[in-house]
Amino acid sequence: MAMTSKEYYKEIEKVYKKPEDYELAGKGNAYVRIDAEAKVTGRAIYTDDVDLPGMYYCKLVRSPYAHAKIKGIDFTEAWKVPGVKGVLTGKDFPEGHNLGNPEAFKELADKEPLCRDEVRMYGDEVAAVCATSEEAADEAARVVKVDYEVLPAVLDAFEAMKEDAPAVHYAGTNNISMFTTMQGGDPDKAFAEADYTDKYYYQTQQMVHCALEPHGATAKYENGEWTIWTTTQGAYVSRYWIAWGLGVSESAVRVIKPAMGGGFGGKLDVFAHELCPAKFAQMTGHPCKCILKRDEVFLGTRTRHPIAFEIETAFTKEGKLLAKRCKHVLDGGAYGGSGIAANALSLICATFPYKVENIDMTARRPYTNKPAAGAMRGYSACQVHFAHDVHMDEAADALGIDPLKLRQINAITPYYTGPTGLQFTTCAFNETLEKVAEAIHWDDRDKQPEGTGIGIAGSGFMSGTGFPVLVTPHYCSASTMVRLNREGYATVFTGANDIGQGCDTVMTMIVAEELGLRMDEVKCVQADTTLTPWDAGSFGSRVTFLAGNSTRRAVGDAKLKLLTHWAGEWDCKPEDITMKDHRVFVKGDPEKNISFNEACYGYEEKNFGRCVAGVGSFAHEGDKDIYVKNRGNYAPAYSFSSSGAKVKIDLETGDINVQDFVFAHDCGRPLNIRAVEGQIEGSVLLGLGFTCFEKCQYDKNGKHLNPTFRDYRFPTALDMPHITSIICGNPDPDGPMGAKEAGEGSTAPVGPAIANAIARATGIKFHSLPIDPENIWRALKQKKETGVNHYGDEGLAEKFASMPDVKPMRPNVK
Amino acid sequence: MKRVIKFTLNGEETECYVQDNLTMLDFLRKDLHLTGTKRGCEEGECGACTILLDGKPVTSCMMLAAEADGHDIVTIEGIMKDGQLHPVQKEFIDKWALQCGFCTPGMVLSAVALLNENPDPTEYEIRDAIAGNLCRCTGYAKIVEAISSAAEVIRKER
Repeated sequence: MAMTSKEYYKEIEKVYKKPEDYELAGKGNAYVRIDAEAKVTGRAIYTDDVDLPGMYYCKLVRSPYAHAKIKGIDFTEAWKVPGVKGVLTGKDFPEGHNLGNPEAFKELADKEPLCRDEVRMYGDEVAAVCATSEEAADEAARVVKVDYEVLPAVLDAFEAMKEDAPAVHYAGTNNISMFTTMQGGDPDKAFAEADYTDKYYYQTQQMVHCALEPHGATAKYENGEWTIWTTTQGAYVSRYWIAWGLGVSESAVRVIKPAMGGGFGGKLDVFAHELCPAKFAQMTGHPCKCILKRDEVFLGTRTRHPIAFEIETAFTKEGKLLAKRCKHVLDGGAYGGSGIAANALSLICATFPYKVENIDMTARRPYTNKPAAGAMRGYSACQVHFAHDVHMDEAADALGIDPLKLRQINAITPYYTGPTGLQFTTCAFNETLEKVAEAIHWDDRDKQPEGTGIGIAGSGFMSGTGFPVLVTPHYCSASTMVRLNREGYATVFTGANDIGQGCDTVMTMIVAEELGLRMDEVKCVQADTTLTPWDAGSFGSRVTFLAGNSTRRAVGDAKLKLLTHWAGEWDCKPEDITMKDHRVFVKGDPEKNISFNEACYGYEEKNFGRCVAGVGSFAHEGDKDIYVKNRGNYAPAYSFSSSGAKVKIDLETGDINVQDFVFAHDCGRPLNIRAVEGQIEGSVLLGLGFTCFEKCQYDKNGKHLNPTFRDYRFPTALDMPHITSIICGNPDPDGPMGAKEAGEGSTAPVGPAIANAIARATGIKFHSLPIDPENIWRALKQKKETGVNHYGDEGLAEKFASMPDVKPMRPNVK
Repeated sequence: MKRVIKFTLNGEETECYVQDNLTMLDFLRKDLHLTGTKRGCEEGECGACTILLDGKPVTSCMMLAAEADGHDIVTIEGIMKDGQLHPVQKEFIDKWALQCGFCTPGMVLSAVALLNENPDPTEYEIRDAIAGNLCRCTGYAKIVEAISSAAEVIRKER
């Protein structure tokens, strides 16, 4: 009988290098990024750098209203602009081929490539033009006349759920795009028996990813086939939706992901700026490029969900967390897309890193007429851990327990199973708390001068999210091919999408490590749907874990084939053979010692020229209906982290100075220490921006007021504190070479640590973000005048109390 | 309207016809195909399009190509010497001072300009010199470390 894949993987594992022999993995400066030289010399090719002969430029026409009917579109003036070559409306795309996330319910594919009859947000895409120059396209788009009938818009998540609110999409649904509930244990009993119970309200703001590279795409059409270079976090995901939006088969579309100038979750969804140049390329026979302007990135891509929280907890007097009830209201904006997962994730994140057996939690994601919310680094975790971890400090104060100790009492421990079915593996959460407390001098927190405060916070995150975002029915696997070449090098064909985090380097390293080659003896071919195998995309901290394991299996497959051949020649077992320093040998036997090249050549000679090649894939084994059932294990492992912040607040002006920042992260074995530190340091920037800087502002009609880097500020080099990174924990037995994630979980505890530090510095509990100098100044003034020592949750209790009793439902589409 | 401009580009005397309203950024990227200069915001805020004008960092999106007439322009393509990486480039590689790399060309040029003027900068001076170059990936920590280390290399070479 044929071997099962699991049995085969066991065979492969026998030839894996042992951890004590690692020369690259887990080392600090053993290698550099494979794309570093291209990037410091300006030679790396990003989407906007792809120029093709005869190329046209596409510009989108966007809605100036938050909600309106499209009554007519007149291109007469646009056609008069010299150089205009084509125009598009929604009717040029097949009807019903909407984009989005039908993961749970098919109605959630809710975005037309270009709006046909109705616009749902300021900046919604209505039409497109293409021309021989960017300037001509800009001018033509400016003079397209669209006749609108303005409709009432709804801009607030609570207002949107009211019975009489205007319907963003589907009437009679209270605008709910997603309703999620998670229950476990007996929370009513636990609340009745608890020594301490409380109820608090929090809210977070709308934020934008701000990858330095604006979104864009270049498309060409030849021989009935499209080639599209695009800013994507998932080449295969983009291909799926581009093909669907165009109404053609996936095999007719090749998507290539060039160098990516950052993603952070904002480049997961598929957009009009990809579909329109593709359509123009087919219509005109000329390649076509569409690169968004910065304001279009703010208006028309994705944002981080603002979330309002009602949190009730029950504790024993000793500090054991018995039960949690919470309600989350997520402002989804105008569309679903990658945003659909936010509900479930927000509830899952509320069940760890602290053990809680009795839960009753609901999340509602109403549509509003604002830019669509979607995935963003630390997806839902950043908002949830801000609220829930600030809350831990409030509970600790009320219980009279040291906030560090309260966290330690309730910390998740290794191999614990959570109330919704999360199966934790390795966990060094307690170690991260201890290390952070020591490094930030937690014991001295009450000895700080006036206006200075220390805060800590903790979090956890999925490592290797096992479920797809945005592509059904595809499996959420990662796959890899590896070829060993007799000329002395290997090639890795990875489906993983490097968006700047460096996964191409990680995959290259895994292959080099296993084969005993140098980094430059491994060539990496990545993220091109014609050349590389399937991968579900860069999201959910899945790349290192899933693609890393997949790459290791692929190189292991090739290695096992090669070594099995030589084991036959040398009369030994494959696992007796070592690959190191470009040689293949049996230790201590000079007769059995050949070069990598000879080894490959020998295999090929014996096998009629067949090259040594391996394939590998890795997928989390989980319930595919998890978004419907809301129970189950989301990932094969979980990372844990803690943050410590020391801040100094100017009590007169509200000015914030983050004097010190400490971050401890349990990522299993760090495959490269500097890469992990880089993820942590970047996370602190994103977390500081979220907590103290960034917020999208709208006028009463839903017009975005600050879609520029001038008015939407995020931290510069002068704003960033000194950061100490501490790597904790042990290798995870299921991770690639023992690794877990380091990209997303690291963002989550930054905000609450800063908020808790500011609370200690000012004596005020901030319940909303951002905590910027203006809000601090207002809160200090309020405290002085009224004695009220919490800020930012005004009116939330009433909003939650008057929320209509929305039953679990799905949008009902005829 | 078009006019002729004469300027030094990456060490070479250059003469070009340029449209009056063409920005330096578009001139470099579209006319000269020097795409190492990146287009991030086109409003002078992000610094991804930084070039050196007579040795000083400027955002090329905020400058007209015609203004280069008679001046010395250096882009990211022009700072290697004799095929060797500039110490700033080398330290960016060694210290992992980049992730997505979109800010990197501008960041490197701001650092080169700083070190040409001040070979022994304090950490604050380094941060101040790159405060106009936004980076969303790195938190600037490794960038500051790389520039500091490049300064040391340059001082030793002198």
